[in-house]
Amino acid sequence: MSSNVTLTSPVENVIQAKTEVNGHDPKSLISMRNIWKTYQMGTEKVHALHGVSFDIPRGEYIAIIGPSGSGKSTLMNLIGCLDTPSQGEYWLNGKNVSEMDDDELARIRNQEVGFVFQTFNLLARATALHNVELPLIYGGVGSAQRHDMAKKALAAVDLAERMTHRPNELSGGQRQRVAIARALVNNPSILLADEPTGALDTHTSMEIMDLFERLHSEGNTIIVVTHEHDIAARAHRVVSIRDGNIEKDERIK
Amino acid sequence: MERSGEHKAEPRRAMPVSLSARLRSFPLLRLTAIWEAFRVATSSLRANKLRTSLTLMGIIVGVTAVIAVVTIIKGLDKTVAQTFSSQGSTVFTVSKNPQIIKSREEFIKFNKRKDVTHEDADAIRRLCTACWRVGIAANAVETVKHADQKAENVRVRGVDPITMFDIDGVTIDAGRIWTESEGESGREICVVGTGILKNLFAEAPADRAVGQEIRIAGRPYLVIGVLEPLGSIFGFSRDNVVYIPYSTYQKSYGARRSLVVFTQVPEAEQLEVAEDQVRTVMRNRRGHSLADDDDEGFSLETQDVFLNLYGSATSNIYIVTIGVAAVSLVVGGIVVMNIMLVSVTERTKEIGIRKAIGARRKDILTQFLIEAVTVTAIGGAIGVGTGFGLAYVISALIGFPLLISVASAVLGVGVSSIVGIVSGLWPAWRAAKLDPIEALKAE
Repeated sequence: MSSNVTLTSPVENVIQAKTEVNGHDPKSLISMRNIWKTYQMGTEKVHALHGVSFDIPRGEYIAIIGPSGSGKSTLMNLIGCLDTPSQGEYWLNGKNVSEMDDDELARIRNQEVGFVFQTFNLLARATALHNVELPLIYGGVGSAQRHDMAKKALAAVDLAERMTHRPNELSGGQRQRVAIARALVNNPSILLADEPTGALDTHTSMEIMDLFERLHSEGNTIIVVTHEHDIAARAHRVVSIRDGNIEKDERIK
Repeated sequence: MERSGEHKAEPRRAMPVSLSARLRSFPLLRLTAIWEAFRVATSSLRANKLRTSLTLMGIIVGVTAVIAVVTIIKGLDKTVAQTFSSQGSTVFTVSKNPQIIKSREEFIKFNKRKDVTHEDADAIRRLCTACWRVGIAANAVETVKHADQKAENVRVRGVDPITMFDIDGVTIDAGRIWTESEGESGREICVVGTGILKNLFAEAPADRAVGQEIRIAGRPYLVIGVLEPLGSIFGFSRDNVVYIPYSTYQKSYGARRSLVVFTQVPEAEQLEVAEDQVRTVMRNRRGHSLADDDDEGFSLETQDVFLNLYGSATSNIYIVTIGVAAVSLVVGGIVVMNIMLVSVTERTKEIGIRKAIGARRKDILTQFLIEAVTVTAIGGAIGVGTGFGLAYVISALIGFPLLISVASAVLGVGVSSIVGIVSGLWPAWRAAKLDPIEALKAE
């Protein structure tokens, strides 16, 4: 692990003055207020989310769990700023992202969100290093600094030796670690993982979950979206979604 | 920036980034994105070799056609210009009929004119102070024989005085020109072009022909000199000519033929003054013969008339030819658009990934545009090369100079790049406005 990491308790953030502004909690990194997502299916309106509200403070490790069709994916797309709610307010790191246009959302995804996908979603023709550099390219970071940052990020997931390999030359676990390095390289507010172990065997899954735990202990805010209970059990808080509503929101650690 | 302050206040981040550096580098964004787009473009072009070469072919064929046509046309133009200016822009002629008659009405009109005579030439020689050399010439086309060899369609040119050789820009290679007294004597002597050597003397060396006898229209002539070759234009030899003294010409063809008076000035700048003087002389001499129209009664022309006629006759042909060649470029553009659409469809997932990690619409747009422009610019460059190559082969076969112009090379690459932008725009726009969620679901 790289040595340039400083640890601070997330509690410090909680102690900060609590002031309600525009209905969102300024101490929260993520603040969702009465979020609705409605799709038009032919003549019928389908509500994927029924007025969901919750907060995620900085430094939390949270799992969002629910069966398929529960609205879990819709919620993940909203949290990841891939989509905007039909109704309600979503504040991410002090910014109201619910009203943003495509390009503003792209900026937010670039700066605030680090995605980890089930199928890794690496660019097949690019090396591990180039894959990790990609968010920095779209963030406009100059090449020397970009190289440096990407190398550090790969070193942080123990892939310093594999930087010039292409995805097809890496194992599943290694690919997912490249994806995690890519998610972290731009120093985002949240690490958003969608079924991060869905394509991995049990042993590798445990390695990846250990890595998440370590990243969390280093101060990262981690949101894992999954339908697997043992994966969710690694988080400190579990939010269960069913039929577009929050069914349960419990702190387990 | 609000954001940077906020982050500096948080020392707990896992991988600290120099945010000031990040913000400082923001003007680099476009350049960085363009370079990334270029990298992606080249790697994707390399990865799909068959597709890339098909696209390249589409553009190469179009650019090759345009470049070859333009280069050949330029070569032809140059050849024609050189040919007609061999007499130089210092020579003009006075004749009964202009060199080019455009209609039957003109033909009738010019035939009413008086012949241009020896006296006209003398008057010009006497009165035109700006004129340097004045000579007369008349042409006939004959069959020329030597022993059992014959040359057909030989231009027999009766000239006087011998400065006509200078005015015509021809020089002696072997033997000699006739003397002044020989020129007035009406003797059957001649100076031949190398075309005659080739046809009558089995390409013998020039000095072997001197002293031989040839028959022009049945009359025997003594060859006293051979001219330096002038070469040919579009396969027509300019050396298939026999010069004879005008006095001799008159004996064979009669005195009642109209002459052409050739006038030369030392420098092109004096041409206008000399033309004015000659025009005045000729108007005076024709003054009483003005018919019912306002015809001057003579034609005063420089060699430009040929160039002008050539220009007006060929410009439309050129436009059409270049237009036809350009159609193949349009077809190339359609090929590029087609391939780019396939490429966008195939790489939907990649577009989704890029968008998820922060690529904006214009980043994706730029990426695909650059890909299209890269392939068309490379195709354009290759096309320029093959176009020049094709023009070289054709010019070598026909026999005219090859003019490789940097301008047409730049134009070739430039136009094909524009084709790339135009045909890449719509596929790139489709890629740019893909929904990231849908795009990520693609396989």
